[in-house]
Amino acid sequence: MNNTGKQSFRDFLGALEEAGELLRIRKPVDVRDISGLMAQTPKAAFFETIKEYPDWTLAGALVSSRKRLAIAMGSTENDVGAACERGLMRPIEPVMVASGPCQEVVHTGEAADLTRLPYPLMHLFDGGPYIGGTFVVSKDPDYGVNVGSYRMMYRTPKETGIDLVSPSDMRFYYQRALDKGKPLEIAVCIGVHPKDMLAASYKAPINQSEYSIAGGLHGAPVALVKCKTVDLEVPADAELVLEGELLPIGWTADEGPFGEFSQISGDVKWNPIFRLKCITHRKNPIFYLLQMPWENDWLAAPVTEAAGLQALRIASVEPVAIRAPVGGCGYWSLVASIKKRPGEGKNAVLALLSVAEVKHVIVTDDDIDIHNPDDLEWAMTFRVQADRDVIILSGARGKHIDPSIKSWELGKGGLPTTAKMGIDATIPEGVPKKLYRRIKTYGKDRVKLEDYL
Amino acid sequence: MSPLATTLLAEITARPQQFDEIVDAHRAVPWRTFLYAWGELRAADLLTRDDDGNFVAVRK
Repeated sequence: MNNTGKQSFRDFLGALEEAGELLRIRKPVDVRDISGLMAQTPKAAFFETIKEYPDWTLAGALVSSRKRLAIAMGSTENDVGAACERGLMRPIEPVMVASGPCQEVVHTGEAADLTRLPYPLMHLFDGGPYIGGTFVVSKDPDYGVNVGSYRMMYRTPKETGIDLVSPSDMRFYYQRALDKGKPLEIAVCIGVHPKDMLAASYKAPINQSEYSIAGGLHGAPVALVKCKTVDLEVPADAELVLEGELLPIGWTADEGPFGEFSQISGDVKWNPIFRLKCITHRKNPIFYLLQMPWENDWLAAPVTEAAGLQALRIASVEPVAIRAPVGGCGYWSLVASIKKRPGEGKNAVLALLSVAEVKHVIVTDDDIDIHNPDDLEWAMTFRVQADRDVIILSGARGKHIDPSIKSWELGKGGLPTTAKMGIDATIPEGVPKKLYRRIKTYGKDRVKLEDYL
Repeated sequence: MSPLATTLLAEITARPQQFDEIVDAHRAVPWRTFLYAWGELRAADLLTRDDDGNFVAVRK
């Protein structure tokens, strides 16, 4: 726990261990074998000894299940979206501190070398080893501070790519710097609490600081320290910080493929280059290796669910339950049940389709258990007429890694659009509710089968 | 250029390859040594990509 009361990455590891969800691997491991080993453990993995990297330990697969995500959120598994929404509703501004553990060790000049960090090749077909699980800070003179999460594939001891193909505030900041022919300073933090990662991946309005969102999720302010070589502030409790700049070269460097959070291997992309100036880290640092796709998917789900809940409330629709299924990677699909008044099935569909790049939506009444696929299918079978209850929109904001939008036709730096579809699976207006009375077995409550065995 | 970087370039020139194939062919080399050599090729802009994501040597 920090002085501010905010939880750190190490606090989360402690919570996982207490819950029996952390597996310690004590034998020395070649860094090239870490991905393969991590894929075989049902628990989060902690590697205590890494060959060639005596100063480092490594933790990964930390939120590769909804159970561990719930531990991070301090909630039940079905309540992670609501817990996320509650945090989003009460932003807490960060506080500056004079020093922090993330700067206990400082490497500049030749010692600032990306091969110091123990990150392995993650997947077949990846274009190289990359740093995931990033909390990337940037600043624009007019729009202020932004935090996002972007993967960075190794190029040289001083350079990585940075996956900036999708629309984001930092992409916008970079474009503004590029238009002036200037680099964009960034600080890349690795090893922060999952709530910090959620704040980074939340699509906040451009004038809202993700630091205040992280504070809200924690219920305590994020403590920040000034960087050593760039004009930025970073969480004092991070394990590791890379300071540097994005070169003003535009989307000209090949990067990827990455194993994507869409659960498929991606394509080669064209991205800017990050140039390293300085590495700072804790003593006895822990490198966080985000396990794609599962950690990314589970980290996406509560943010998507919270955004869906907010969209419904803004539309004056009362949500009962919401789910961003892992089949939709916690990102592209939303299923919600509502307390419906006439017309609100359609309003809810439209509200949920407005969320980020969500492309498929199903809305049901509150008598449907949306966590039960059979119940959901039943609602879609008997409450939907496709010619009036399916809404299809064209030309909405999309994401490159969805192959069905043919992003390869766009050229370097182009932004894709997508079609969206929503299904109103609520009881249609004009159809009496009594027609949906579910059958119940006669006498089931009076007898017990075990009495007859 | 280091001997390992020279070897990597010769192998990629002979046949475009996926990164994981190149890693597998050099598992006997320490990972950091491999990354330094790879960095030499990238810093010198000696590599490009084909449509399948293979690394291809740039003709100079």
